[in-house]
Amino acid sequence: MPEWLVFLFMVAVFVLLAMAAKFPIGIALALSALAGALFAGDGPSPRHLVEGAFGYFDTILIILTATIFIKVLQDAGILDTMTSLMLRTFYRSKILLLLAAMVILIFPGMLTGSSTAAILSSGPLVAPVMMKLGLSRLKTGALVAMGGILGMIAPPVNILIMIMGAGVDMPYVGLTRPLLMLVVPLAVVIPLVIGYKDLKIINRSDLLSILPPSLGPKYRFRLAVPFLVLVFLMVAPGATAGAVPDVGIPGVFLFAALVGLACGRPVNVLKVTQKAIDESLPILAILAGVGMFIQVMTMTGARGWTVISVLSLPSFLLYLGISLSLPAFGGVSTFGSASILGIPFILALISKNALLTSSSLSAITSLGDLVPPAAISARFAAQVVGEPNFFKILRYCLVPALLQLAAGIGMLLLAPFLDKVV
Amino acid sequence: MKEIKGTPGSAALFLFLAGLLCVFSGKSFLDMHRPEPIFPRPGLSEIKKLGDYLPALQDSAGDTDVYVFRGKEKGGNLLAVGGTHPNEPAGLVTTVLLIETIRAVRGDIFIIPRANASGFTHSDPQEGNPQRFSISTPAGPRRFRLGSRLTNPVDQWPDPAVYMNPPGQKLSGNEARNLNRCYPGRAKGHLTEKIAFGIMELIRKEKIDIAIDFHESAPEYPVINAIVFHENSAELAALAVMELQAAGIEIRLEASPVGLRGLSHREWGDEAGIKVLLLETPNASHGRLKGRPSSSLVVEGRDKFYARAARLGWLFVPFGEEGIPLSQRVARHLAAISALLKSLAELEPDKAIAMEGMPPSADVQQKGLGVFLHPPLKGT
Repeated sequence: MPEWLVFLFMVAVFVLLAMAAKFPIGIALALSALAGALFAGDGPSPRHLVEGAFGYFDTILIILTATIFIKVLQDAGILDTMTSLMLRTFYRSKILLLLAAMVILIFPGMLTGSSTAAILSSGPLVAPVMMKLGLSRLKTGALVAMGGILGMIAPPVNILIMIMGAGVDMPYVGLTRPLLMLVVPLAVVIPLVIGYKDLKIINRSDLLSILPPSLGPKYRFRLAVPFLVLVFLMVAPGATAGAVPDVGIPGVFLFAALVGLACGRPVNVLKVTQKAIDESLPILAILAGVGMFIQVMTMTGARGWTVISVLSLPSFLLYLGISLSLPAFGGVSTFGSASILGIPFILALISKNALLTSSSLSAITSLGDLVPPAAISARFAAQVVGEPNFFKILRYCLVPALLQLAAGIGMLLLAPFLDKVV
Repeated sequence: MKEIKGTPGSAALFLFLAGLLCVFSGKSFLDMHRPEPIFPRPGLSEIKKLGDYLPALQDSAGDTDVYVFRGKEKGGNLLAVGGTHPNEPAGLVTTVLLIETIRAVRGDIFIIPRANASGFTHSDPQEGNPQRFSISTPAGPRRFRLGSRLTNPVDQWPDPAVYMNPPGQKLSGNEARNLNRCYPGRAKGHLTEKIAFGIMELIRKEKIDIAIDFHESAPEYPVINAIVFHENSAELAALAVMELQAAGIEIRLEASPVGLRGLSHREWGDEAGIKVLLLETPNASHGRLKGRPSSSLVVEGRDKFYARAARLGWLFVPFGEEGIPLSQRVARHLAAISALLKSLAELEPDKAIAMEGMPPSADVQQKGLGVFLHPPLKGT
């Protein structure tokens, strides 16, 4: 059976189930993987389906525990208090507010290399503030999604580069400067592009009317403790060279959530957990389904066909191939895209400075977090702002994403000149 | 989009399906814990365990067999390590072939065929690999496990977001389970660091003079068909390469990068001061461009996508339609061992190591592996 035919069949089954039969995306992906295995003559392949789904086990746990963390903060009244505090601090200047929002959004991603962790931990802090000051829900979602993506590539932790570096024996050193060259201008321009026009400057009386209830006077410093625990557990293992054990990102969120239970209003743990599972289950199912889909693609040779087809592009189309294939494959898995396509592209550009090449490729690859079917950043940003259709948010991500793509390609093209700077 | 509502019936159906998946897949996952038998030659002196060198490893998933061949004459001591990455089968098969064929004449020879034993008990998600591959022997197929590059997460979990290895290099979190990023290891670290520390202890306690780490790499990876050497082994590696080239075997020399930490070719040399070489052969079955993964891809090494990639100039090794079979990859490793030991004898005669019985590289390439491997047990 030709590999391309298996791939097309899997895609066709997915489209049929997801679009025509309106199956949930996760189930449509799982069934199209199963159909692909049967079509290729491999039988139901239960081991491959389970193994593929487990490729995202850690990501699934991160999402689940981060959602529990946010729900605890919401029910404990901590999120409202933080929103109130941010509004009081920044309501006078939209530029300062937008830049501060972007810094807050990026920060968790800088420490974890995970856009999901960034969006789910700082998105709920920033989003209500933006919406109360006039930014539409969709634009707020776009701001949150782009903040998560920039956090994912910002130094000191860029897992995409670590993955690509491992494939070419490039140590993860000397990347701070090239990454800052990419991220800082984008972190300034993108929030202004998304929010400057719509954000309102308000006076003090207007501010008081939109302030959410604050528990500050009652609980005071205790309200900040879950965030401090979160940041401490993310930073301390690296800063202390392992003296503070690394419990993994899911452990960090879970521990911070447990601390959050004792830092604000009383919280019903069972209800909060149920709510978190209910909200996160669709994306968890998508990740498991994507894992099965990739496994069957690889098992049937369809992945190899896809990769070689991209690499077969004529050399003058190389940059076009990079611009399209890295984010497109990222729509299935951003980390997978870095490994499967990013590494060959680094090797193709081996005559250029590898630090610049890997930085720019990571910026381009990270855009895969906006690409369906997974579109992880857009989905979570939609969840954070309460928008049921994440495609509407993608509309407002388009210009920022193109800016980021241009910055990445620009760095690749200008690498011979930038080489002297880094 | 219409929302599909769950019902008790649909919940029961999905639970049932999940149960079925668990039963059928669980059976095949458990099968990976059944090690392939190895049949040492009578010249074997003893089988030790890595846990003998680091008691913390005893009875853990990281403990593994160390096959010891002691020579009658005094000489240097050799450590041969396979299975650092269980998805690189030439490492396992080369060391198994040594165990099943050699007798030490001069010096002591220590062989670890499954350095990361835990990595052999699972396969890499989303790689779609077969769990075992078969090598034909005159008495039937001999089956070996094709494991994962990393320690089984069942044995070491969770991964940190960012892994800082013992020499202080930052790596992506899952590299905490990559044995060849964890050297020189930590006695009280996580499992993979303990395995690395156990191997360092073996090197120190057995006064190893020269160590060879057998690997494979994807054909698109630049360090391929190569000997990677620590700077203290530069002369030895250079002599061996000349020897190999004289025999018509093209092989590259790659110096171990000083800034790339945690790897055997760096830390064994830095920490224990021994001569250390890492050998790489091209393996299509663990590359990103591979077609349908199968036992035949592992053993015969033919892949149409890699052949096409070679024509497009994407590879660092010649790769034709005929592929690069496992027998050829193992033969390269064997040729490199011979050349390295011969060169060592020239450079440091008092540290010379000699063995007999090792199949000549050309014979392995010509006749295949099955002729030299022990016949399989019935029913395996």
